[in-house]
Amino acid sequence: MLASGKYLDRTRKHGTITLVGNVQGVPAPDFTLQALDGSQVKLSDFRGKAVLLNFWATWCPPCKVEMPWFEDLQRQYGKDGLVVLGVAMDDSEPATIAKFASELGVNYQVLLGTDKVSDDYGDVQYLPTTFYIGRDGAIVDKMTGLLDRKDIEQAVKKTLNTGDRSSSIPQNQAKAEVKAVAAKEVAAKDATR
Amino acid sequence: MRRVTALVAATLLLAGWALSQGFGDKPPVIFAPVGNVQVRAGASKEVSLDFRIGSEFHINSHTPKSPLLIPTVLKLTVPEQVSLADIKYPAGQDVTFPFSPDEKLSVYSGDFSVSTVLKTQANVTAGTYPVKGELRFQACDHSACYPPRSIPVQFQVTVVK
Repeated sequence: MLASGKYLDRTRKHGTITLVGNVQGVPAPDFTLQALDGSQVKLSDFRGKAVLLNFWATWCPPCKVEMPWFEDLQRQYGKDGLVVLGVAMDDSEPATIAKFASELGVNYQVLLGTDKVSDDYGDVQYLPTTFYIGRDGAIVDKMTGLLDRKDIEQAVKKTLNTGDRSSSIPQNQAKAEVKAVAAKEVAAKDATR
Repeated sequence: MRRVTALVAATLLLAGWALSQGFGDKPPVIFAPVGNVQVRAGASKEVSLDFRIGSEFHINSHTPKSPLLIPTVLKLTVPEQVSLADIKYPAGQDVTFPFSPDEKLSVYSGDFSVSTVLKTQANVTAGTYPVKGELRFQACDHSACYPPRSIPVQFQVTVVK
């Protein structure tokens, strides 16, 4: 099920970006997180939709650049089934995060990140990190660092084009697979140093 | 020259630490070891603490331009024989980055020093005492940011009569 662990290092306008393709096809670990409005949001409730899952923080200036793009993409492709979810990996109070998001005009749901969800997605440290999750719940792509908007839109289109096939892989196995892929990434980087 | 050597040595030694902190193969911030600091009883002494930031990184200065940005802060715990009179941070450089061309950020990059002033009482017992603490910072490169981290800072103070 794991895609071949191939690194795609690309130089972009904003610097060297690592677009990691080796989580492609892995079922996205399910989670339930609290949204800024207090509601509980479960990833698997969006099965059948294309999900853009963006990890960000208020202290991350590059993250701020992408957020208006996500707003536009949500407006443009929402009718086609795109759901943007922001996960704030922040120690700030929810009210501070809400104010920040409001000032940026965020029109998509912002969830309060936890160490567990970070861990389940391979110890998300480098922000922004975005997972593109297909309608079948499988990861289509993972992008770390700030990319150009056209790259993000291309990934959105690719994600929207996925079919709704139910995954037969149990969630605990999915989490283990994502963690294993993350561990391989670290090992591969170490080997190339 | 000695400080430069210490920074180079620290760069090599702490690359492993950087890996363990989730910084991949890019070292973030390192502390140059300080030799034994001598202070005469009843006097004060300025101690410069030197840090080096990895070439691809910058960190927020002590006074970033937004309250949401995490400032660089040095915290020291001194023994009762010594008091910490002052901590002086360097001014940040106002820099525009490709990810935010319309906004200047106040940052440190390359090498920077934080100055501390230690004081002792005239009646303090002569001896060598440890000063321990940490530098908290939040690093970014040109396209992404890492969570706030702390690195240990420690040195010895010898009080002489």
